[in-house]
Amino acid sequence: MSTPVIAVQALTKSYDKLEAVKGIDFEVAHGEVFGILGPNGAGKTSTVEILEGLRPRTGGEAIVLGFDPERQKQQLKDRIGVCLQATNLPAKIRVQEALDLFASFYTRSVSSEKLLNRLQLWDKRAAFYETLSGGQKQRLALALALVNDPQVLFLDEPTTGLDPQIRLEIHGLVEEMKSEKRTVVLTTHYIEEAERLCDRVAIMNEGKIVAMGKPSELQKQSRSKSRIQIITAQPLDLATLPQWPDMIEQDQDTDKRILNVYSSRPARTLFEIMKWLDQQNIPLEDVHLKRPTLEDVFVELTGKQLRD
Amino acid sequence: MKTYLAIIKIDLKLALRLRTVIFFNYLFPMIFFFTIGTFMGAKGNPEHATTVVTMSVTLGILGNGLFGAGIRSLQERELGILRRYKVTPITPTPLLVASMVTGWMVFMPYIIVLLTISHYWYLMPWPKNPLSLIGFISLGLITFRSIGLVVASVANTMQEGTILVQLLYFPMMFLSGATFPIRGSVFTVISNFIPAKYLVQGMQDIMLKGAGFSWKGGSEVWEAAGTLLVTLAVGLTVGSKLFRWEKEEKIRGSAKLWVLGALLPFILVGLWHSLHK
Repeated sequence: MSTPVIAVQALTKSYDKLEAVKGIDFEVAHGEVFGILGPNGAGKTSTVEILEGLRPRTGGEAIVLGFDPERQKQQLKDRIGVCLQATNLPAKIRVQEALDLFASFYTRSVSSEKLLNRLQLWDKRAAFYETLSGGQKQRLALALALVNDPQVLFLDEPTTGLDPQIRLEIHGLVEEMKSEKRTVVLTTHYIEEAERLCDRVAIMNEGKIVAMGKPSELQKQSRSKSRIQIITAQPLDLATLPQWPDMIEQDQDTDKRILNVYSSRPARTLFEIMKWLDQQNIPLEDVHLKRPTLEDVFVELTGKQLRD
Repeated sequence: MKTYLAIIKIDLKLALRLRTVIFFNYLFPMIFFFTIGTFMGAKGNPEHATTVVTMSVTLGILGNGLFGAGIRSLQERELGILRRYKVTPITPTPLLVASMVTGWMVFMPYIIVLLTISHYWYLMPWPKNPLSLIGFISLGLITFRSIGLVVASVANTMQEGTILVQLLYFPMMFLSGATFPIRGSVFTVISNFIPAKYLVQGMQDIMLKGAGFSWKGGSEVWEAAGTLLVTLAVGLTVGSKLFRWEKEEKIRGSAKLWVLGALLPFILVGLWHSLHK
């Protein structure tokens, strides 16, 4: 990895007797989308807020864009963009006024017209904040995070509480930021968001990073099994089925038309099942392959659901 | 500088878009002004007209300062608006300065209208030292806004803030001479410790006695102005030091004593008056 944009070493954060972050280490490279996953109370918000210069750390080191977030917070804040989980602005501020106001806080800024067009808010530029829908408010929050043309963006659960359509729109915007080679730190509860958007993820639990890597790598490392589900037109007798290669186990539902085969190498197992069904002239109605998800990895590592 | 100007501009726009601001800064004091003026027979009686103007301005300043600056700042913190500002490079200073300037810009047209109506409707003579009057009212306004900001800084919730503001507002309204003349030695001693008394006293000296900042006999004005000025400095310092961006950032109960710190100049002047006069 070339000089990292973000470097964290032995970072700790305590609130009185509560240890929220317990000595974590990670680096984020230029242009990388780095996800931090974890349930509530995992320490991800504390970690991100330390990096944003919002909270002092208790111990360890943190560097963002060459700045110490605790000692050089003004310089750092001038160069980063932050989209909070819940942004609120005065009810009677107009969309364009909000962008112009926030632009005045930074030493450099991009034109509000450009941002309004990019975030599909041009038609709403004269609307009061109180009249915007949830999705429009979140798009404005993203526009405010981009107003200083930041090199690093921190997105704290940017799609929580939004409907699926708006969530997809926001995903599209994050992908645009990725294509512009901006470094993005994304915290999220949504596993599909991390799988789709992140180059690497860190899974946090009880203040520690319990796994880190590319989503696909973490899924491969999982002890969870891939499941092949076969739905046939006629019932199958489990006792007469062959032993599929790489099969771990198999079971059936009560009407014996749905067969679940758990395998360590699902592609090979699936191929053999298809061949056998064809040889036996058994009509196939449907087939599904379910690989372990990051959620499975998380549950395996922590014994908790991500949204606990 | 562009940050200061941008915040002042948007604060002013937001203030003028709120009906409550219009009502409490212009309509309510004006209704009060005409009601009390009629009740006191202010028309053609310069002394009564001046008293009514002083009352009305004092109530306006108390409302603008304690409720306008204090409660609004608390609301912005409770709603998470200040939290959004916190992730940008700005410091509390432009926000506090903008609050002062906006409060002044919103309030001053009312003063001009009030003096004009008093002159033509109640036949009150124009103040002999209009610049001293405007200067003194301006000082009073920003001083009470700074007290409001200290309250906002030390209160953890809206509920706490409202209680603190009312604990300050009502004694100032009734024991400063703004609404009732202070009679009796006990009330006179108490009033020496009430910040709004110096506001009322300074305005009455300028309007009734023709005192001013340049007048040799204006020591009372200087005393009142000096007390307000020290309070402003203490209020801004404390307000800035204890400024909190988020409602989650709680402060210790003992920090609430900073409200007394901001009022210390009045306590000292009150003691001096009570012991020497």
